[in-house]
Amino acid sequence: MGATQTTPVREASRSGLQDVLARVPRWAWWTISIAIAAGFPLLNLAGVVETAWLRVGVVSLIFVLLSLGLNIVMGETGLLNLGYIAFFAFGSYTTALLSSPKFEIRWPFLAVVVVSTLVAMVAGFLISLPTLRLRGDYLAIVTLAFGEIVRLTIINLVPLTNGPNGVTGIYSPRLFADAKPALEGVQAWFIIDKPIEYYYLVLVCVIVLAVLLTNLKNSRVGRAWNALREDELAAISSGITAVRAKMLSVVLSAGIAGFAGALFAYYSNVISPESFLFMQSVIVVCMVVLGGMGSIPGVILGAIVLQALPQLIREAAGAARSDFEVYRMLIYGILIVVMVIFRPEGLLPDKIFRREAHEVDPRELEMTRQSLFDLEEGQKDLEV
Amino acid sequence: MSAILELQGVSMSFGGLRAVDSLSFTVGENEIVSIIGPNGSGKTTTFNLISGLYEPDSGDILLKDESVAGLRPDLVHDKGISRTFQSLRLFTNMSVLENVLVGMHSVTSAGTIASMLRLPSVRREEKAMYDKAQEILGMFPGRFSGPRQHQPAYSLSYANRRRLEIARALASDPVLLLLDEPVAGMNPAESHEVMEQIKMLRDTGYTILMIEHDMHVVEGVSDRVIAMDHGVKIAEGTYDRVANDPQVVEAYLGKRAANATA
Repeated sequence: MGATQTTPVREASRSGLQDVLARVPRWAWWTISIAIAAGFPLLNLAGVVETAWLRVGVVSLIFVLLSLGLNIVMGETGLLNLGYIAFFAFGSYTTALLSSPKFEIRWPFLAVVVVSTLVAMVAGFLISLPTLRLRGDYLAIVTLAFGEIVRLTIINLVPLTNGPNGVTGIYSPRLFADAKPALEGVQAWFIIDKPIEYYYLVLVCVIVLAVLLTNLKNSRVGRAWNALREDELAAISSGITAVRAKMLSVVLSAGIAGFAGALFAYYSNVISPESFLFMQSVIVVCMVVLGGMGSIPGVILGAIVLQALPQLIREAAGAARSDFEVYRMLIYGILIVVMVIFRPEGLLPDKIFRREAHEVDPRELEMTRQSLFDLEEGQKDLEV
Repeated sequence: MSAILELQGVSMSFGGLRAVDSLSFTVGENEIVSIIGPNGSGKTTTFNLISGLYEPDSGDILLKDESVAGLRPDLVHDKGISRTFQSLRLFTNMSVLENVLVGMHSVTSAGTIASMLRLPSVRREEKAMYDKAQEILGMFPGRFSGPRQHQPAYSLSYANRRRLEIARALASDPVLLLLDEPVAGMNPAESHEVMEQIKMLRDTGYTILMIEHDMHVVEGVSDRVIAMDHGVKIAEGTYDRVANDPQVVEAYLGKRAANATA
C-alpha cells in the first residue's frame, strides 16, 4: 500500500528510460563498457576511424589511470591535491631517463615501470610527511606549490632533464634489456610501438586497476579512508590511525600516477615540462569531480569525456581552427559550473553521494516517512 | 571486583581553567557507573581524557592496571576503550552497515594488497565482520533490519543515530564502553528502551561508564554514580546517596535549595 502511494513522486522525478536503465545489472554495464572499449580499435583496423582517434583513445585511457589514482585521495579520503600531476612527472621522467639515448640506458619495460612507480611513491611519501597535518584549503595550497616546485625543478635541472627541451627519443617498451640474437624473433612480439598496441596495453591496465580499486574501496582499508573523510575525530576514536591511513592513500595514488606517467612517456616518445603544468592537475581534478567523487565508473567516464571532448569539438570546428586550445579551459570552466549547479554528485555518482547531493529525493522522502513511523511507534509505546 | 578503569588524580587545564581537578575513581568489571553534574563540570573532558583525545597534565589513567594516559585515541581504542559522542559523530555518508564495520577496524587486520586482490583470507574476514555486524545491529530489534542497513547514516532518525553510535562502539567488543549522554534528545519511550538495552549490555558482560543528564535513566541503570562540579568529584555512591548529597543538590539547585533539603 505504501508503495502505491509513493508512485507519483517517483514518476515526477524519473523518466521511464531512467527506470529501464536502472534495472540493467552492474556486471552488464561493465561488460558493455569493456566490449566498446576493446572494440574501438577494430573500427580503426576496418578503416572506419582514423588513427588520430586511436591516439586520443590512448591518452584518454592514460588519464583514466590518473583520475583513478587521484580519486583515492580526493574521493575516498577527502584530501584535495592540486599538484597531482607532479607524481605523473616523476613517473614520466624516471622512464625517460631509464629508457632513452639521454644516458644511453635501455632497461627492460617491466623494470622501468616498476621503478617509475616506486619513485613516484617515494615522492608521495616525502610530500605526505609535512602535509598530512594540514586540511582543506591549506592542503590545497601546499600541494599546488609542490606541483609547481616539481615543474620548475624539472625546467632548471638541465643536466638531468634537458630543461625546457625535454627528453626525446624514448625507446619503445621492450620486455628484455638486450636481446640475444637467438631471441630476436621472439622479442619482436614484445615490442610495443603502434598506437593500437599501446591502446590495448593501457586498456588492460585500466581494467586491472579498476578491479583492484573496487575491491579496495569495499574493504577495511577503503572504509577507513571514507571514515576519515566523513569525520576524522570519530574515525581515530574508532581505532583508525589517521596518519598511516592518509599516507597510504597519498602514496598509493602517487604510485598510480607514476605508473601512468611511465606509460605516457613510452607512448609519447618525447616528454617536456609542458605536459606537467598546473592546469593538468586541475584537469584531473575536474575529471574526478565531473565523473563523481568516490565513484570508480564515474571517474573513468569523467576522464574519457574530458579528454576526448576537446578533440571532438576540435574536429567539429574543423581542422582549420587550430586555435581551439585557447577555448579549451573556457569550456572546462563552463562545464564544471554547470555540473556543480545541476548535478553536483557527478555523472555517475557513488550511490551514497547521490542521495546526499539532492535535497528532495524520492528515496529520502520514503526514509523520512519511516522516521516519522518510528516516532509514531515511540508514541504508541508511551501510551502503553 | 577488580578494577577495569582507574583514574589516579587526573588533572587537566585549559589556560587558567581547571576543567578536571585531581579526579580519582574506579570502574569495576561488569559495572555501570554514571557521571552526573551540571554543564561545564568536566564530564566530557573526563571522557576525552580517558579516550585519548586529551592528554592529562598530571595523574594517570589505568585500564586493567596498564597506563593509557596520553596515548593516541586510536591506540586507546586498540586497548579496548570505545566511546560514543554527545554531539553525534557518525560517518553520515556511509551506510549503517559500513558505520558498524568501521567500528571493527581495531579487531580486524586485512592489509592493502590482500584487500585489493580480495584474497580468501580477506573474504573470510569480511564474512565474519558482516555476521558480527548483523549480531550487533540485531541488538536493536526492528531499528536496523534489512534494507535499512544500506541506507546512509544521515537518513536515520535522531534516536536511531544514537543507537547506531552505540552499535559502532560495540563492534570492537570493548573492555570498557564510554557512553556520552546516550539518551539525549530522546522521548521517554525511547530513553526507556535504551535504558533496557544498557542493562542488557551489562548482563552480557560489558563494563560501562556513562555521562547522563536524564536522572530517570541514571537511577534505572547505575550501580554507582559519581557527581562532578567544577572539575572536582563532589560525591560518589549509590544513586540515592548521591542524589541526596547536599553538595550535589547545591551544585544543581544552588545553596538555598541545599539548605532546605538538609
